[in-house]
Amino acid sequence: MDSFQEKVAGEYPLVAVVDDDESVRESLPDLLRQFGFATRSFSSAEEFLASDSLIQSGCLILDIAMPGMSGFDLQRELQLRGHSIPIIFISAHKDEVVRRRAFRQGAVEFLFKPFSDTALLQALNTALRAR
Amino acid sequence: MKLQLEHPADEIKRLRRYINDLVSLQALPAMWSGAKPGDIVPTLLDSLLRMLDLDFVYVALTNLVDAGPSETVRVAQSQGQMFRPRELCAFLNRRLGVDPQKLHLQERSHIGDEEVSLVSWPLGVQREIGVIVAGSRRADFPRDTEALLLSLAANQALTGLQQARLLGEQKRVADELDRSVAQRTAELAAANEGLRKEVAERRRAEDALRRSEAFLAEGQRLGRIGSLSWRVETDEITWSEELYRIFGFERDVPVTLDLIGTRVHPEDIPLLHDMVEKARGAVGDFEYEHRLLMPNDSVKYLHLIAHGIRDNDGRLEYIGAVQDVTQRQSSEEALARAGSELARVARVTSLATLTASIAHEVNQPLSGIVTNAGTCLRMLAMEPPNVDGARETARRTIRDGNRASDVITRLRALFSRKDTIAERVDLNDAAREVGALSLSELQRDRVILRCELADDLPLVTGDRVQLQQVILNLLRNGSDAMNTVHDRPRELLIRTARDEGDRALLSVKDAGTGFDAESMDKLFQAFYTTKHDGMGIGLSISRSIIEQHDGRLWATLNDGPGATFSFSIPCAPNT
Repeated sequence: MDSFQEKVAGEYPLVAVVDDDESVRESLPDLLRQFGFATRSFSSAEEFLASDSLIQSGCLILDIAMPGMSGFDLQRELQLRGHSIPIIFISAHKDEVVRRRAFRQGAVEFLFKPFSDTALLQALNTALRAR
Repeated sequence: MKLQLEHPADEIKRLRRYINDLVSLQALPAMWSGAKPGDIVPTLLDSLLRMLDLDFVYVALTNLVDAGPSETVRVAQSQGQMFRPRELCAFLNRRLGVDPQKLHLQERSHIGDEEVSLVSWPLGVQREIGVIVAGSRRADFPRDTEALLLSLAANQALTGLQQARLLGEQKRVADELDRSVAQRTAELAAANEGLRKEVAERRRAEDALRRSEAFLAEGQRLGRIGSLSWRVETDEITWSEELYRIFGFERDVPVTLDLIGTRVHPEDIPLLHDMVEKARGAVGDFEYEHRLLMPNDSVKYLHLIAHGIRDNDGRLEYIGAVQDVTQRQSSEEALARAGSELARVARVTSLATLTASIAHEVNQPLSGIVTNAGTCLRMLAMEPPNVDGARETARRTIRDGNRASDVITRLRALFSRKDTIAERVDLNDAAREVGALSLSELQRDRVILRCELADDLPLVTGDRVQLQQVILNLLRNGSDAMNTVHDRPRELLIRTARDEGDRALLSVKDAGTGFDAESMDKLFQAFYTTKHDGMGIGLSISRSIIEQHDGRLWATLNDGPGATFSFSIPCAPNT
């Protein structure tokens, strides 16, 4: 089994996915469940903020470019509200400037789409260790 | 003389008187010294009347300097009633006449009722000065002593008169001389005054000229503008001072085209030859920008404007101004660099934006595909395999694959343009316009543009702006291909011609670096470029434009250096 499951076994942290792209919302939860995580997905930052996952989530996989609140907006909002959920940003824009900005603002990991399952797993490991 | 001593006492007295008279006569010339003839005659006559026992004495003067001929007569006071001066003169005039034989007259004559002894002495050998006549009623007149006294008096008078005459002559000459000296002096003074005025006027004009020259020189220095004249026939070139300064030549160096050639930047020599050739060919105005390479390796940029004129004899002369625009050029170049950098950035940016949005659109479904495929594999690897889950993720993989394909189709539709305007286009006009628009850019890149446009070129049907974009693109490519050329003129030639099968042909020939024969096929592919700052889409767009015009665009390598790009498109109907 994967190393992550050995470390976090029994905790079953909830991983929330926020992305306006439907294909991501459909595919990513399946993979996360394969990894052993409970997961919930949201099509917008506002939707996520309004849900109880805000408190329950142990990790947030967050798209940068979304209509309405962007990924960065949500990150700032969470910091303002005192929620220190580790965030893995994902983006279809291969832009190093955006990536560096995300790290500066406290992101744990940053993945450019498309990313491999192992890259995602590594990112989750980092994120949950940082928790 | 025979002395008769009859009455010795009387005789002594008479002789004494005679001696006194002689002394008096001897003294006469001293008295007359400096006198005029008019002053001499009366004293002579008075002396003779007083000395001798005469009834009258007469002097006629001719040929005098300061007066005309004159007659003077003195009549003894006691005889005043007997001899009237006027009658005497008339008588003696008649008597003496002009006969040279009567130089010495001695006779008894009747004047009126009186019988008179007359004696005359000529003044001058030929009576040229005049004559003296003495008259007495005494029959013994003249006695020896009287004759002697008369002849002495005549001699004295002659001497006096001659001296007076000489003096008069001298005086006349002196006066004449004085007069002409005075006149000449006055003339000289007047001429002097005129000359002085002229000099002053000239000095004023020279001052004004000098001031205006100074203004001009100062203006030229400040504006870094020199002026020149060039007589084409004799190649006689005149420069203003500032132009010597701009070129860095000594003032006294004679200017020749060869000398100018030594300063012109080696890469601009073809430009200079081109300019000289054109200027010799036709009268007109021309404008050129070229560079100088100074001895210290610095480069100057010059802007030349010249105006051609023909003088009355039909000889061609150019009058021109040359401005050192190095400073302006540097700022313009900086601006152009910034501008082209900006354009490149904008182009790259828009391309990046375009690429990014394409990437984003494609990456979204790709991300789904990769994630689904990963999930699918993991589900199949389970014990037992989750086949249903795997089937579902595989299905979603296919769906996302199709989505990606749709994205590409949408993009293609977005970039294809179908609304080409169809109008009649004269490729010659189109080429001329593009050439004119590109001229300053080409000049900046030291490129000489030549046109050989066919007179019989048929019109074509098409989109003028699109065709001009193609021509512009070909010109720019040609110019860019010569960027690194320094050993030959950077020449671009636009040529148009009627092509086979009712088509019009336009070609752009450069003298650049050309291309590899094997890369010929790639030239027209999108994103293929040999330029470090090119995008590689110019030729592919150009070819698609030409193909939309039912034409074709191709490239050939020249026999010499460089390449030629040509397109050929069908003519418009009915041309």
